[in-house]
Amino acid sequence: MNPRPAPIAAAGMGTIMAMTDTQRGTSCTVPLPLLQLVSPALPVGAYAYSQALEYAVDAGWVTNEQQAADWIAGLMRHAQVHLDAPVLLRLHQAWQADDHERVMYWNQYLYASRETAELQAEDYTLARALIRLLIDLDIRHTSLLKEKKRLSYACPFALAAVQWQISAGDTIAGYLWSWAENQVAAAIKLVPLGQTAGQRILLQLGQTIPALVESAQQIKDDEIGQVAHMQAMASAWHEHQYSRLFRS
Amino acid sequence: MPQNDSGWQASLQLEFEQRDSRTVLAYRKHHGPLGVQRAFYPEQACPHIYILHPPGGVVGGDQLSIDISLQSGAHALVTSPAAAKFYRSAGDQAKLHQTLHLADYAKLEWLPQETIYYNAAEVCSTTRVELDENSCFIGWEMYCLGRPAANEYFTQGHISQRLEIRRKDIPLWLEQTAISGNGEMLQAPWGMSGRALAATMVAVGPVDGLAEEIRQHVSAIAGDYFSVTRLDDVLVCRYLGTEAQRARQCLVAAWQLIRPKLLGLPACEPRIWNT
Repeated sequence: MNPRPAPIAAAGMGTIMAMTDTQRGTSCTVPLPLLQLVSPALPVGAYAYSQALEYAVDAGWVTNEQQAADWIAGLMRHAQVHLDAPVLLRLHQAWQADDHERVMYWNQYLYASRETAELQAEDYTLARALIRLLIDLDIRHTSLLKEKKRLSYACPFALAAVQWQISAGDTIAGYLWSWAENQVAAAIKLVPLGQTAGQRILLQLGQTIPALVESAQQIKDDEIGQVAHMQAMASAWHEHQYSRLFRS
Repeated sequence: MPQNDSGWQASLQLEFEQRDSRTVLAYRKHHGPLGVQRAFYPEQACPHIYILHPPGGVVGGDQLSIDISLQSGAHALVTSPAAAKFYRSAGDQAKLHQTLHLADYAKLEWLPQETIYYNAAEVCSTTRVELDENSCFIGWEMYCLGRPAANEYFTQGHISQRLEIRRKDIPLWLEQTAISGNGEMLQAPWGMSGRALAATMVAVGPVDGLAEEIRQHVSAIAGDYFSVTRLDDVLVCRYLGTEAQRARQCLVAAWQLIRPKLLGLPACEPRIWNT
């Protein structure tokens, strides 16, 4: 088994949250490349996927703002924090150490942890799109990923973060943030919710992220992974849902 | 073997070989209260093997390990005569570690009866399946949290259950389920949604077309849930409900479609399931 990763510094969106304290100051402490990496304008197409939320709405499990907030927050606390986040941390450390064997180990680990065909296809498609972009931007080492058949989005995401000198904590926070924002955008379209309701949910989710980044660091290698039964089943049913806005 | 301070240590090792026209249990070794009945041959070539868990069940501190190997071309079906029970723990964790090695062209059906986790059980269970290029595997894990029929609910304790399938060291399927008695996952609509019984069946091999067929012919009883999906190399069926018997009925129906495609044999239910 791999050694437990070293604890990481400054948790989460700490740097961004700290802005309020440093507003009086004149220096910029925001890791700007992170904003670019987590922006919905990043051309990877994450907006096309709802990760079973579309089925949950159709089945009547998610019908209002509160239920949407609970659904997204619950999955973030469980699935994201116990699977994606600790793997992302290890990928960040492996890229940082130029340990490409370890990069592939954790990349394949995450890919094999996807619960359904559509969740795996989404992960792969996003990874491919980000790899294409990073190659066009001449990001070092991206060509290593070019021919790989099993790819998780977190893998090129961590590579970009390391190349742009974003700390591991900020990288995890950004990844969780962009996942949450994407889910909220899907909820706005599907439930549907008003824009303000969406922003209210996102604000609450954002406040939980620093603590979630902390918990993700405590997870040991053999504890990584967490299935969310009904989300996994809903995703399988979504693959054959009659009428869909979101991709499978 | 005597019980030490921290519980039973038990292990079971089985090795199957293809000899002439059938697979035989060529080697067995056991240590402590884990055993195996003699092989049954209800369908000539493939032995049906019943693994006997410790009499009465498993308590905190017990450590069980099961190691099964199949040589090239061998085919075995492994099940158990009754549900495995993990009792309430005073604090110590019970550990179950299972490793299933399949050489090239070996086939294993791993179909144990359900596991019952009593309220306040502390359990860590790991099943590792190691495949070669052309090995075929069909396996399921069914577990019930507490005993809802006796009004015993899983409100305390921790279960960590892991299933890993690798082919030549490349992970094909990894599933970790971590459950806390007081955790929100038990009731959450994205989690177990108030259901106490969960099962996953996985098939690896030539699974083309099977997901569609199963989707068409197999469904859960009203109020329970059943789903099927097919990843690159792995077919996955899930069941969520309240009773092990219903889950098994449903998964057996799927298995009846999977077996002919994957193994070229009609389904032949182990006799013990019907007793």
